[in-house]
Amino acid sequence: MTITDSGRIQIETYLEICQFLYFEAELLDDRRFEEWLGLLTEDVQYRMPVRVTKEKADGSDIEEPSSYFEDNLVTLTSRVARLGTKSAWADDPPSRTRHFVSNILVQPGADSSEYLVTSALNFVRNRGSICVSDQLTGKRKDILRRVQGDLKIASRDVYLDQVVLGTPNLITLF
Amino acid sequence: MADLESDLSFQLHENLSIGRVPQWILTDPGIYELEVQRVFASNWYFLGHESEIPNPGDYVSRWYVNDPVIVSRGNDRKINAFLNSCTHRGTMLCSADFGNKANFICPYHGWTYSLEGKLNGIIAGDKIYGTEMDRSEWKLRKLPRLETYHGLIFASLNENVVPLDEYLGNLKWYFDILLGRSDKKMQVKGVPFRWVVEANWKIGSDNFGGDAYHTAMTHRSTVELGIAPKDPMFASYGHQVVLDNGHGLNVITPSPVAPKVPPFQGLPEVMWPMFERNLTEGQLEVFRNTAVIDGTCFPNLSFLSPMHGTGGHAHLTNFLTLRQWRPLGPGKMEIWSWFLADVEAPEEFVQESYKRYVNTFGPSGVLEQDDAEIWSRITSASKGLMARDKTLSYNNVMNYVMGLDSVEPDPNWPGPGIAYPTCYLEAVQRAFYEKWHECIAKD
Ligand code: FES
Ligand SMILES: [Fe+2]
Repeated sequence: MTITDSGRIQIETYLEICQFLYFEAELLDDRRFEEWLGLLTEDVQYRMPVRVTKEKADGSDIEEPSSYFEDNLVTLTSRVARLGTKSAWADDPPSRTRHFVSNILVQPGADSSEYLVTSALNFVRNRGSICVSDQLTGKRKDILRRVQGDLKIASRDVYLDQVVLGTPNLITLF
Repeated sequence: MADLESDLSFQLHENLSIGRVPQWILTDPGIYELEVQRVFASNWYFLGHESEIPNPGDYVSRWYVNDPVIVSRGNDRKINAFLNSCTHRGTMLCSADFGNKANFICPYHGWTYSLEGKLNGIIAGDKIYGTEMDRSEWKLRKLPRLETYHGLIFASLNENVVPLDEYLGNLKWYFDILLGRSDKKMQVKGVPFRWVVEANWKIGSDNFGGDAYHTAMTHRSTVELGIAPKDPMFASYGHQVVLDNGHGLNVITPSPVAPKVPPFQGLPEVMWPMFERNLTEGQLEVFRNTAVIDGTCFPNLSFLSPMHGTGGHAHLTNFLTLRQWRPLGPGKMEIWSWFLADVEAPEEFVQESYKRYVNTFGPSGVLEQDDAEIWSRITSASKGLMARDKTLSYNNVMNYVMGLDSVEPDPNWPGPGIAYPTCYLEAVQRAFYEKWHECIAKD
């Protein structure tokens, strides 16, 4: 991508997308998971390919076929439903989470209704009375699609920087 | 390393024999040191699967507790396991997770080893070394023993450990079902998931080995969602089987009050003739009627072959996962989780199977999440003076009495081992802890 590519995006669109991603982060951190589902397209694809340590000569350190999430709207909806049960122990008492989103770059997508958006994620999770928070960082690659005027997430790939996850479970969404 | 005092050893033995496990063994640093030596170094330790290194030069970097190990395939196609450390000054040779190499070159002074571990190259070797060095004495250090079973690679630091065949013993009969049923056997798909949990490794082995009882409560969210049956006995049907050397498993059959499940855990019908070729009558009988198999190969390799759908009871899909509970200290472990599929399984099925695995038993899995959470709560509650009191004056023992002396083995079970006709039982865990005690009490 070049700066000129992103230059084809209107500044209003860029701001709208930034606002959309911040709003999404707020929904997740405020535990408004049902509303978060409303930000997804019907055909959403949600993945988190596994990162590995490889020698430089061996190419990409992303193992695309292996993934911590292999989700669509059905499975994401059941994850959210689970968080709403009375016995999702990993989330009860709930962790306190913060999704920091930055480095947002926007490019035109496959057609005029879509945008390719990359962003950096700094996810911090604090549990119980433990002072030190769990942290996951990574890059997200989204396809956002305009559906009847509203932006929605049509696809998300999260590429974490950790090879060994330093948190006991991936309880929330990223 | 302090030895286990004989009165403590006796007390452990006494308590274990009546289904009580002192809580201090989960968090005691002394016990942990003993375990590293006498449980892990002395027995067979799982390092990976042959399909992870199919070609000459392929290697994976693994950990034998705290020893870094290169598991590689030589030009002769044989598998080797070396300490991942140069013989000159000890530098780690492979710092990537996996790769393919023609030889191993040390980045410090450039010593170069063949895939078989021979010291082949030394920079300016002929000019600087004379008779003071015989290269054949400076080969890569092999782990003393390495053997495989149905593609599982095990090594041992104990030169005198019994052959793997004998160590696995009657667990092999069940491994045949899980790993030897297909003509071309199983292969690992993708890379293992790895994550760190603040829990003692024994809890993982104990849970996967025999704890069917926890499913109704720990995984109650899935019952609330209607993914798992409401019947609180649903994971009790079938047999709990105590095997040789601390191994054990549950063979869970479908709940009689839930909808029927297809034979062979719903594996595609095109594969059935293969199963019939490779398994005995008894193995087929067991496999045909099974919903879930979970178990532990002593000390810290577990396996799970369940069936899960995306909701309700439609499209239950089987997968096989191997688990290693790598200890990182008394209160911490790194979980390694592999996904395996039959080499001949239809691709479409393998993809669906992988999705069900990720969705239920990866770090994001809707069942897995709650296990790790609860195991870490055991650690949190086992660090204080009361839990760690070695005189047990606070009744600080964990309860493993379920079915003790009250459930009789089923004489009609077609497989080896002592098979009890229920999975709500703690016979496997009692046998696990007895084997564990036998290991650490040994000089
Ligand atoms: S430490 Fe490896 S060559 Fe010196
Ligand atoms: Fe569980």
